[in-house]
Amino acid sequence: MNPRPALGREDRRIWLIIAAMAILGLLFIPFSQTLFGLRFTYTVRVVALGGAILGIISGALGCFAVLRQESLLGDALSHAALPGVAIAFLLAGRELSALLIGAGIASWLGLRFVSALLATTRIKRDAALGIVLASWFAFGIALLAYIQSIPDASQAGLDHFIFGQAAAIIESDVMLVSAVGVIALLVLLAFWKEFKLVTFDAEFAGANGFRVGLINTLLSTLIVVTIVLGLQLAGVILMVGMLIAPGIAARQWTHKLDQMVILAAVFGAFAGGLGAVISALDSDIPTGPMIIVVAFVLVLISLTLAPGRGLIWSRLRQRQNRREFAARNTLRDLYRYALAHGAADTPAPDSFIRGVGDRSAALGLRQLRSEGRVTLGAAGWQLSESGISLAQGDRRNQRLWDLYRRYAYELGLPAVAEERGRDIASLLPANAVARLEAKLEEGADS
Amino acid sequence: MMPVERLLIEFLLTFLSRDELNAFLRSPQNTATLVGALIAVSGALLGAFLLLRGMALTSDAISHTVLLGIVVAFLLMVHGFRVEGDTSSPWLILGASLAGVGTVALTELLYRSGLVRQDAALGLAFPLLFAIAVILVSRFVDDAHLDEDAVLVGEIGLAWANTNSHCFQNCQSVTVTEDHPAAKMTRQCVNCRELGISPRDERAEFIEVCGNCGPYSPAQAWNAGLLDSEPALVFFPKSISVTLAMTLLTLAFVLLFYKELKLSTFDPALAKALGFRPGALNYALMALVSLVAVGAFDAVGSILVIAFFIIPPAAACLLTDRLALLLLLSPLIGAAGAVFGYDLARGLLFGFLPIADGIAFVNRLFGLDLVEEWDSSISASMVLMIFLFFLLAWVFSPRYGLISTALRRANSRRLFDDQVVLAHIHNHQFTAQAATELRVETLHLHFRWTQRKMGRVLARLRALNYIRIVSGGAILTERGEERVHRFRATMLEAHNMPASLA
Amino acid sequence: METRSDLALSIDDLTVAYHEKPAIWDIDLDVPEGALMAIVGPNGAGKSTLIKAVLNLIPRAAGTVTFYGAPYEQARSLVGYVPQRGSVDWDFPTSALDVVTMGLYGKLGWFRRPGHAERELALAALEQVGLVDFADRQISQLSGGQQQRAFLARALAQDAQIYFMDEPFAAVDAVTENAIVDILRELNQRGKTVLVVHHDLQTVAEYFDWVTLLNVEIIASGPTAENFTLENLQQTYGGRVSYLHGGQLLAASAP
Repeated sequence: MNPRPALGREDRRIWLIIAAMAILGLLFIPFSQTLFGLRFTYTVRVVALGGAILGIISGALGCFAVLRQESLLGDALSHAALPGVAIAFLLAGRELSALLIGAGIASWLGLRFVSALLATTRIKRDAALGIVLASWFAFGIALLAYIQSIPDASQAGLDHFIFGQAAAIIESDVMLVSAVGVIALLVLLAFWKEFKLVTFDAEFAGANGFRVGLINTLLSTLIVVTIVLGLQLAGVILMVGMLIAPGIAARQWTHKLDQMVILAAVFGAFAGGLGAVISALDSDIPTGPMIIVVAFVLVLISLTLAPGRGLIWSRLRQRQNRREFAARNTLRDLYRYALAHGAADTPAPDSFIRGVGDRSAALGLRQLRSEGRVTLGAAGWQLSESGISLAQGDRRNQRLWDLYRRYAYELGLPAVAEERGRDIASLLPANAVARLEAKLEEGADS
Repeated sequence: MMPVERLLIEFLLTFLSRDELNAFLRSPQNTATLVGALIAVSGALLGAFLLLRGMALTSDAISHTVLLGIVVAFLLMVHGFRVEGDTSSPWLILGASLAGVGTVALTELLYRSGLVRQDAALGLAFPLLFAIAVILVSRFVDDAHLDEDAVLVGEIGLAWANTNSHCFQNCQSVTVTEDHPAAKMTRQCVNCRELGISPRDERAEFIEVCGNCGPYSPAQAWNAGLLDSEPALVFFPKSISVTLAMTLLTLAFVLLFYKELKLSTFDPALAKALGFRPGALNYALMALVSLVAVGAFDAVGSILVIAFFIIPPAAACLLTDRLALLLLLSPLIGAAGAVFGYDLARGLLFGFLPIADGIAFVNRLFGLDLVEEWDSSISASMVLMIFLFFLLAWVFSPRYGLISTALRRANSRRLFDDQVVLAHIHNHQFTAQAATELRVETLHLHFRWTQRKMGRVLARLRALNYIRIVSGGAILTERGEERVHRFRATMLEAHNMPASLA
Repeated sequence: METRSDLALSIDDLTVAYHEKPAIWDIDLDVPEGALMAIVGPNGAGKSTLIKAVLNLIPRAAGTVTFYGAPYEQARSLVGYVPQRGSVDWDFPTSALDVVTMGLYGKLGWFRRPGHAERELALAALEQVGLVDFADRQISQLSGGQQQRAFLARALAQDAQIYFMDEPFAAVDAVTENAIVDILRELNQRGKTVLVVHHDLQTVAEYFDWVTLLNVEIIASGPTAENFTLENLQQTYGGRVSYLHGGQLLAASAP
C-alpha cells in the first residue's frame, strides 16, 4: 500500500490562495485608509464585519446549492421570503429576529409548494420555481404597498429588504446573524459525511440506511436559513448571487469538497465585506447589487485563471495538445514515407508531406523542426538522428499498446486506461511491459 | 407610431363620441386594466410555448437582461442624444429587446463552454446583469419614471397620465416668438457665473430672454391658454399603444407560425429534418419575449412580468391537453387576472368581496390593530389574481386537479389491489404451496397488508364473483380467471413491442 | 408464513407500482447463498425496479423481502449495492479514494468520521479493482470503465454478504469488463451472493451460473443451464430473440 504524499501540489495551492485572500482582506483596511482616505468609522467597521460573517456562512452552505444544481431554487426561495418579512412586521413590528423568522417561514412554504406542485402535477421544475418566485414576490410587494399606505412612519426601512441596505445594520444585528450562522455551520460540520454522501449519490445513501429525505430536508432548511440571514444585507432579489457565486468560484480551484467549502467561505467573506463597505460609503449604491458585482469579479478571475480548469489554462493546453498531436502524426508520415522509399533518413518531398496533411502538417513540421527532429534540405524533409529514434520508439510503443489490448486479459496484466499517446512503460509495471515485449519478439503483432 | 394611433382613434370615434373616449381613457382603472390585460395576453401566448419547451425560466432570464438594456438605452438617450428619457419610446424598446436577445445568446455560449452548469450560469449571470442595472439606476438616473420602485412594480396605475395628444378639429398649432403677446420675457445675467458675482453686482450685464417661446402643439397651446376656442383633442395613453402593438405582433406571429411552432416544440429534430429551421424560430420567440418584457416594463416592472409569462399557461395546462385550447385559455386566464387584479388592489376580491372585512376578521382573531383599508400595488395584485386562478385550476381541474386526481387514484388503487390479489391466487392456486399461500386467514401476511384491508379486498372480489372460498382457501372463479387473463394481456402489451419485429 | 434463513434472498409476492401501474407484479424469488445470478429482461421489464424495491429505495405495494431470514432493516450491513453509473454527477469535487470510503459511511453511523482504518480498507478495495494508482484522482478524470470500477470498489469496501449491481457492464471497455468478471468470480468463490442486472444475452451463460428472466413477472429463475433456454427467452422478450441464431448462445448448447 503506497501512502499518500503528505501535501499535494494542489493542496498547497489552495492554502496559498486562502492565505493570500486573508492577507489581502487584512491589508485592505490600512491600504484604503491611506490610498483612498476612507475612514473606518464604527458604523463602517460593523458593516464590514457583518458582510464578512454573512459571506462565510453563505459561501460555505452555498457550495451545496451549487453542487445539487439548485441555484435557481435559491433564487426562487430568496424572492419568496419577502411576504414573510411583511407579515412578520404587521404582526410583531420592526424586530429583526421576528422579521427573519417570518422570512424563513415564507421561504420554506415556497419550498414545500414547489415540491407539492412537482408531486401532483405535470408542471416542470423550472415553471414551478417561476410560479413561486413571481407570486410570493407579488404577495410581498402587495403587502409592502399596504404597509406603506398606513399613515405611520414606523415602516421606514422595510423596503431595504428588497435590495439590501448595509448602512442600516447595527451591532446587535451582526450578533444575531453570527449566532445563528455559527449554529448553521456547526450543523454542517456535524452532518458533513451525510450531506456529502446524499449530495453525491442519494440512491447509494438510501441503500445504506441513511434517511435521505430527512437529510435533504435538513440541508434545504440550512440553505433557507442562510438566505434569510443575508436578506438584510443583500436583499431578496440578489441574495442568490451571494449564495452561489463564492461556491462557483471556489469550484474552479479545487477538486476536493472540504477545500471547496473553505475557499468559498473565504471568497464569500471577501465579497460580502468589500461589497458592504463600498455601499456603506456611498449611500446611492444598494448593497445587494454591489456584493454581486464583487463576487462576480471573483468568479470571473477564477474562470479565467484557475489552473487546470480555467479558460486561459485550457486554451493553452488545447494548443499544446494540438501541436503535439500534429508533430506525432507528421513524424509518423515522414517515417513511413522514408521506409517505403529507402532508409529511415530518406528525405520526403515537401509537396508530399504538406499534401497529406493540411494546416496540421505545417504545424507539426514547425514543431518537429524546432525540436531538431527534422531538417529541410533540397530534396525535402529529412529525419535527423533524434527524429528517427523518436519515430522508432513511437512505433514500438503503439505496437505494445496493440498487444496490450489483445493479450492483457490472457496474460493477467493489470487494467489501465489505454492512453496511447503516452509511453506504455510509464503506465504499466516493468514486468508487465517485459511480457508484452516478449510477445513482440515472438512477432505476435503481425 | 403616431399615424397608426390616429387611425385607431378615428376608428374608435365611429362608435364613441370624443368625450366618451376621453372619459374612458382618463379613468385610471380602464387604462390600467386594458394595459394589464394586453400584457397578459401577449405574455401568455408566448409563455405557453416557453412552458411546453421547458424554457419557463428563459422569461426570467430575459426580464433580468432587458432591464440592463433599458437602463443603458435610457442613459444613452439622456446623456448621449440629449433628449428626454422615455421608457416607452419605440427606439428604446427595440434597442433594449435586441440587447436582451444578445445577452441570452451570450450566456448560452457561457454554459456551453462546460465550465459552469446551466443552472449556475442562469443563477449567476442574470442577477449580475440585474445588479449592474440597479446600480446604474440608483447612481446615475435621476428620473421619476425610472427609479428602484419602477424597476420592481412599474407604474400601471399612472399609465393613463402619460399620453400622446391627437387633435381632430379646430387644430391650431402656435409658435410663440418674442414679439408674441403671450411671450414672457425675463432678464438673465450673462456674465454672473463667469465672474462669480451676484446679479445685484454692478458689473452684471443682462439680456432679455423669452421664457416660453417655441412651438406649441394644439393640446399644449390650449393648456397654456394660447387659444380662444378648445380644439377637439383625444389623449391616448402611450402604454396602450405600446402593449397593443406588441399583442398584435405576438398574435400575428403565433397565428402565422402556428404549425411550425407546434412541430418544433414537440419534435425539434423532425422540424429540422423537414426544413423548418427550429433554431431561427427559437430566436424569433426569444426576440418576441424580450420585446414583450421591455414593452411591459413601464407598467409592471421587470420582475413581476415573469408571472404574466409563466402562470397563465401553467394553469391552462392543468385544464387541457390540446395546444389550441391551451393557447386560448392562457390569455383568458391572464386577462381575467388583470381585470380582477385592479379591483383587488383597490380592496375588492373578485370585485365584490371587501378585503377590509378580512383584515377586520384578522384583527379580531389575533387582537391586532391593522388599518382596515386595503390599497395596494396594482401590478402585484394582478399577479396575485392570476396566481389565485392557478390555485383554483390546480384544485378543481376536472382532469388534473387535486380532487379529481385523488378520486381517480383511490379508484385505481382499489382496482390495483384487486388485481394483485387475483394474480397471486392465479399464480399459486394449483401449485404445491397452494394450501399455505392461499389460506384466507393468513393471506394478508404475504402482502404485508393489514387484515382489514385484505378482508375488504376479498369481500369485494367475492361480491364481484371473481373468487370463491373453498375449505379456507381462495380460488378463482371462471370470471376471475378471465379477468386475470385480460389484465395480463393489456399489461404485457404495454411493456413489449409487437412480436412482429423479430 | 415461513422464512428460510439458508436463502441469501427471499422475495415473496412482491409487487411494485408507479402510479398504480405495476412495474413488477407478484414476484416470488429465492436466491440461495453463493449464487452468481444475472437478472435479464427487456427494457422496462422492471429489473432496476426489482433491485430498488428489494433495497427499500422505492415503496412496495405489497410483498415481503428477507435477507438470510431477516428483513432489510436488520440485514442492512449484509447488503452491498452498485447503482447505475449514470445516476450520479461525476463532476462532484471528490477523489476516487473518497468515493470508495463512502461505502463505509453506513457502518460509521451518525456523527463519526472516517479515520485511518477506513482509509486502509478503502485503499484495499481500490487495490482489488486495480485502481490504487488512481486513488487521488478527481473522479471526473477517470475513464468510464474506471468510474465503474470505483463504484465496484465502494461496494467491495462495504464487505457485504449479498451484492446488487445495476448494469455494471453498461458502456465499459473490454479491460474493465474482464476486471469486473474477475471480481464477480472472486466474490462468488468467497461464498458471497451476487445479483447483477445484465443486458448482454451473449455473455450470460459464460459469466453467470444462475439466471432470472424477468418481464414484469418472473418468467424463469434457477441455474443457467436449465433456465436460459430459447423458449424462456422468447417468452421474456416476446419472440424478439429469434434473430440471435436459434440456440447458439444458449446454455443448453454450450459444451
